[in-house]
Amino acid sequence: MSQSVRYRPSFLAWLISLFSGVGGLIVKLMMLCILNGITGWAIIVLFTQERVIWALGTTAVLASIDFIYLVPNRFLPAKFILPGSVLLVAYLIVPIFFTINTAFQEYSTGHVLTKAEAIQTNLEQNAVQGDRYFRMAPARDSSGALVLVLVDDSTGDAFIGRRSGLEEIDPTTVEVDDFGDILPPTGYSALIGDEFFEIDAELAAFEVPLENGGVVRTEGLSGAYDSAPGFQFDPTSGALVASDTGVEYLDNGRGSFESADGEQLVVGWREYIGFDNFTAVITNPLVRQPFLRAFAWTIGFAGSTVLLSFAIGLFLAKVIDKQNLRGKKVYRSLLVIPYAIPGFLSLLVFKGLLNDDFGLINKLLPFDPPWLFDPWWARLSVIMVSVWLTTPYFLLVCMGALQSIPTELVEAARVDGAGRWQVFRKVTLPLLMVVVTPLLIASFAYNFNNFNNVYLLTGGGPTTEDQSVAGATDILISYTYKLAFESGKGQDYGLASAISIYIFFIVAAMSASGFLRSKALENMK
Amino acid sequence: MKKQLAKLVAGLTVAALASLSVPAVSGAATTLRIWTDADRKASVEKVARVWGKKKGVTVTVVQKDFGKIRDDLKTVDTATAPDVIVGAHDWVGELAANGSIIPLTVSKSVAAKIPSYSLDAFSYANAKGNKVLYGAPVALENVGLVVNTRVAKVPTSFDDMVKQALAFQKKAAGNFGLVIPGGDAYHNYPLFSGLCGYVFGKDAKGNLNPNDVGVGNSKLLANAGAIDSWNKTGLLSSKVDYGIAKNAFLAGKAAFWVTGPWEKDTLDKSGLKVKIVQMPKNKCDSVPFLGVQGFMVTKFAKTHKVESQARDLVGSYMMSAGAQTQLSSENGRAPANIDAAAKITDPLLKQFAAAGKGGVPMPNIPEMSSVWGDLGTAWTNVFKGSDATSAKTAFRTAGKNIVAKIG
Repeated sequence: MSQSVRYRPSFLAWLISLFSGVGGLIVKLMMLCILNGITGWAIIVLFTQERVIWALGTTAVLASIDFIYLVPNRFLPAKFILPGSVLLVAYLIVPIFFTINTAFQEYSTGHVLTKAEAIQTNLEQNAVQGDRYFRMAPARDSSGALVLVLVDDSTGDAFIGRRSGLEEIDPTTVEVDDFGDILPPTGYSALIGDEFFEIDAELAAFEVPLENGGVVRTEGLSGAYDSAPGFQFDPTSGALVASDTGVEYLDNGRGSFESADGEQLVVGWREYIGFDNFTAVITNPLVRQPFLRAFAWTIGFAGSTVLLSFAIGLFLAKVIDKQNLRGKKVYRSLLVIPYAIPGFLSLLVFKGLLNDDFGLINKLLPFDPPWLFDPWWARLSVIMVSVWLTTPYFLLVCMGALQSIPTELVEAARVDGAGRWQVFRKVTLPLLMVVVTPLLIASFAYNFNNFNNVYLLTGGGPTTEDQSVAGATDILISYTYKLAFESGKGQDYGLASAISIYIFFIVAAMSASGFLRSKALENMK
Repeated sequence: MKKQLAKLVAGLTVAALASLSVPAVSGAATTLRIWTDADRKASVEKVARVWGKKKGVTVTVVQKDFGKIRDDLKTVDTATAPDVIVGAHDWVGELAANGSIIPLTVSKSVAAKIPSYSLDAFSYANAKGNKVLYGAPVALENVGLVVNTRVAKVPTSFDDMVKQALAFQKKAAGNFGLVIPGGDAYHNYPLFSGLCGYVFGKDAKGNLNPNDVGVGNSKLLANAGAIDSWNKTGLLSSKVDYGIAKNAFLAGKAAFWVTGPWEKDTLDKSGLKVKIVQMPKNKCDSVPFLGVQGFMVTKFAKTHKVESQARDLVGSYMMSAGAQTQLSSENGRAPANIDAAAKITDPLLKQFAAAGKGGVPMPNIPEMSSVWGDLGTAWTNVFKGSDATSAKTAFRTAGKNIVAKIG
């Protein structure tokens, strides 16, 4: 019986069909053109901002994409891996490179400028202000040269300030407008509108020499004051020299100017300092003292979160897996909810629920555990909430994995007389573990650095018996945050990068040993 | 092959065409760019435009999250960087050390109109120990003791406040006497200063001295027994967080609440009868932390060739009574300028301003980042009810940890 089935293409098939034939060629070409246009624009912007390396990198990527797609060659299959590789480099390799680069630098509050900028900033911040203040109006004289019309704020004397010096004029020739701004006398023309942009740099750097060796500097558009340099830069020795005391501040090789008796100027610059950040981590008593405790807790937290959520997830998956369970879909949706709600939200909600006196949980319980205030209870809370957030993930994973286990294996075992538990123990679980072990390891590595769960729920607290800076629930990464961003003199990106590299090696070592074990599991199969 | 070539030509042509539009986009930047947060955007725009009109300068106001203004300044592209930012005075130390903001000079006549503590709040010592000004203070904020006058009287003394609070607390289940967000060093500062605690002392030149940490000072430790008694009587608890404190007070279930002018609208709408005063003097004056908001000129103003304009806007115009009156009326904070402050009519705003008398500007040196966490933890630990740490131990430890962290 021939039945003519009208084939209705799916949406996906329709979408794919767009890309074949002449029409498809045009679509593809248009998309490539758009990519070329946008990226070309980006390259030009990067060049105008003098980001040469970025511009060249982007050009190289664009050129290789165009080459692969447009020029007939044997690299065409590369189109399948190129987009992924580009994203891998952009979002993984580049940040890793930056972290490593930063770890070898003095890069912290007070060390963000380049050296040239730091010299300039120190000269500026340390200029000595005199006690004369002038009201000022920039103007042009008859020859068109920039001059300053000045009125001394305390004496009322008026001057014309030129690069050659001050010239006193009759104060009555200088008028004041409604806003209190002074107007230039006849013979001089005021500046207006865009002219200010043109002369900005000139005006900001304008200096009128005074007889006492100081200068009159402008302040904005309507003020000026006398000032003398507090530091001088000596280009031969590369030192900043204090004008009054003659003390020399030399480049100390660590991104600061330092005097002979060890005084450092606050404004420094970014500088490569070798392994200093790495040794600082080890020698810092704030790191050493609570390290083992924080480390042990980090492993305990990550390990118990992963194992508990896996156990619960597997159990629930097994329960839902039953063929004849009614309302399966409803259960499944309900159980996945914690995974669907953003973690930030759940954590803050739990913080409220676990409040000792006013939280819902203690209102329902007959006794009041100090959930967030006692070290051990707080640790329990953090694990509990993390398990709540992670279980749905393992539920989904296990449901998939259980279905992939061939039923004949289970049946064969049953025929051979194995009990339910034995089948689970000897057949299902080993087969499951082959699939799930890498995910367990990945989840462990993720929880090892699960900053959000700890920081949003307890902030690392409460305080432990030893009263150290690391709280009872501080894992290594949240403690790193405290050390690098909530201590010392502001933020220390170099130190933070160095610690995160240490943590990377710890996690890598633990994951590697885990993967070796999972290899052994696979061999067993 | 010809077909392939045609493709190549088409692709490259479009690329070239699209690129042509670029110079127009990244063209000349003859405007002054200001970064501010959502709360202040409208008022800043209005006030800055008045200035811009007079000077013939276009002002662009960009909205950012408050905290992002400081953070993004570190990583922003020069092309889109702000020339002026509106921020908090306690950023000044860090931003000045990073060279992100530039020093200003103001005339004596302008300075005379701004209280010296708010100018000091925007100053940071240079290498010579001289105070250098980095911003124009425009708005002040501080916490006060908000009294629910239907259930309590304005306290005549600290002990009176405690007595009234405890009496009201015992009246009914679910009542609170005094609500202060637990573990919060900022809101608890009046209690802290009232027992003679301080964060940083000052050196001979009047600059904050990061080596003189007063969190565990001997006077405070001698007075610390009072804190233990507040814990024992249940006057204060670290389990009361900001939300619980606010809800309790607004429901009429708390006699006193420590909060600031950001709750002014809520208080206005609450239907409660309130009076705001400074917390009564305890062993020392129970002064609050002062927060000062203001305008700062960034280093980018130089690159954008608007340095003089930016200095004019910040250093003279924003300091004026006219500009500050308008800013204040738009965003509900007391102005810094004395003449503008005299003009406030809103009763709650006036009372909050009066409650800040003698207040201490939050330290603006970068070392302050070492303080918040441990000082807050100490407050959490002393009000934990039966599990509480003794205040003497808690504050001594906090002081020790802070000194260790500053290093």
